Amino acid sequence: MLNIDCLHSAYIRGANILKNLSFHIKPGELVAVMGRNGMGKTTLVKTIIGLMPYLSGDIRFLEEKILGRKSYEISNLGVAYVPQGREIFKDFTVEQNLLLGVLGKKKKVSDFDLAYQHFPILAERRKQLAGTMSGGQQQQLAIARAIIGKPKLLLLDEPSEGIQPNIVHEIAATLKQISATESLTILLIEQNLELVTRLVDRVDFIENGQIVHSVDVKIIHEDPELVARFMSV
Amino acid sequence: MEIILTIGLDALCYILTLLLVSIGLVIIFGLMNVVNMAHGEFFLLGAYSVVLVQKFGGPFWLAMIVGFVAVAIVGLIVEVLVVSRIYHRALDTILATWGVSLVIKQAIIIFFGPASQQVVTPFQAPAHFFGLVYPSYRLFIMLISVMISLCTFIILYRTNLGLMVRGVIANRHMSGCLGLNTQRIDRLTFALGSGLAGLAGVIMAPLMSVDPQMGLGFFLPGFLSVLVGGAGSPLGALWGAGLVGGGTSIIAAIKTPVVSQIIVFSMAMVVIRIFPNGILGRNR
Ligand SMILES: Nc1ncnc2c1ncn2[C@@H]1O[C@H](COP(=O)(O)OP(=O)(O)OP(=O)(O)O)[C@@H](O)[C@H]1O
Ligand SMILES: [Mg+2]
Repeated sequence: MLNIDCLHSAYIRGANILKNLSFHIKPGELVAVMGRNGMGKTTLVKTIIGLMPYLSGDIRFLEEKILGRKSYEISNLGVAYVPQGREIFKDFTVEQNLLLGVLGKKKKVSDFDLAYQHFPILAERRKQLAGTMSGGQQQQLAIARAIIGKPKLLLLDEPSEGIQPNIVHEIAATLKQISATESLTILLIEQNLELVTRLVDRVDFIENGQIVHSVDVKIIHEDPELVARFMSV
Repeated sequence: MEIILTIGLDALCYILTLLLVSIGLVIIFGLMNVVNMAHGEFFLLGAYSVVLVQKFGGPFWLAMIVGFVAVAIVGLIVEVLVVSRIYHRALDTILATWGVSLVIKQAIIIFFGPASQQVVTPFQAPAHFFGLVYPSYRLFIMLISVMISLCTFIILYRTNLGLMVRGVIANRHMSGCLGLNTQRIDRLTFALGSGLAGLAGVIMAPLMSVDPQMGLGFFLPGFLSVLVGGAGSPLGALWGAGLVGGGTSIIAAIKTPVVSQIIVFSMAMVVIRIFPNGILGRNR
């Protein structure tokens, strides 16, 4: 589904953050990328969604080359993005935030009912300004806004950041369910093992802009040392 | 009594005129954060469309359409060629659009000459009401200003298009990631703001001497209204126009126009100093 080969990516010309990175996801797979702060996790998802200025290599989504394309085009091919820090529209209502997840799509397929069904708290607060909701609620809104346009691949950048455990569990369950019923492929960037082990099938570790190790999530359960090796400072 | 009524009407007329010339600024300067030094020249182009249309014997409503559409297209060209390359580089934008303003002004002087042009005023018969005689064209301006402001407000706040425009302004990258073609929406917004400046020029032309300097007198108070009211919100412009316009015309009626400008401008500076984001403005 997503094939990245020999990818170089930089904010400043010449200063590559991602260096010769290769990474692959099959349709329906749920994959987490873990790594220490500053290793290039956010840069990886930003590169996929078309936000990075200096690029070389190859990124294909469903066999189509997307490296160098504009964000709105990549989004319209079926890639949705929940950024680190959520970036919801704080001054708009919940409903307007969701609407903005639909209006840009060429095929205006949308399912507000389904989104509200998955995240009932949003249905209750349709008319509330998004900025006045709690962090967990805002995160749910960011996810709902991403899935309402019926994407095929969902990029999630640290969705558990600053959110209490029970909401994290709820989000994990909801995402698992959506992925199953809507055949949604997920790339999750995370530091929180709770969410990783509850949601994904495979974990890849990133270090200095490269994927250095890839394991089945079962191994993570059996060998906590492994995580410590790639995550501890 | 009649004098008070006349002063009140004059003040209202000036407020609504300011609102009319500010609406384009609210969009381009207030919402998009672009300091477009050619805004006054867009106003000018609108005024000269009246001259042109009337030269060919066209009616005033046609001039309104021509002024809006033509200036919207000019705005679109300026956005594509100049502004789109330098969003968020304020100084570059000021310099580049200042260059555009010189080009437009010179082009007008080449085509129409530096002298002021005559424009035929529609609705010449004065209106009589409440024992008052008042120029009907001024009443028309008040009406049209209210209508245009209302339309702009509805487009921005009650339609999906307006939601997209505001979304792109609030967070350009995220809007793009949601599938919105941000470049196209920027163009559309800039063109709309430009077209409204042109339309303001059309409507003000019959009241003013149409010459290459005419834009100036309104753009200082226009900018000031947007700043005083709060650049981020169209409702702010309403407040700003009310305070600046109302203050100017009421003090002018009591003292002299010069004194009133000095007083209002100094007060405006104080207000902007105390409320850097304008009276209604939040942090931008
Ligand atoms: N806008 C930017 N301009 C220049 N360099 C940047 C920019 N954003 C990030 N970087 C650099 O790129 C590197 C990777 O950053 P990135 O945000 O991808 O890390 P991360 O793995 O997501 O970290 P975290 O876990 O803290 O979110 C860091 O060294 C960072 O300093
Ligand atoms: Mg990050």
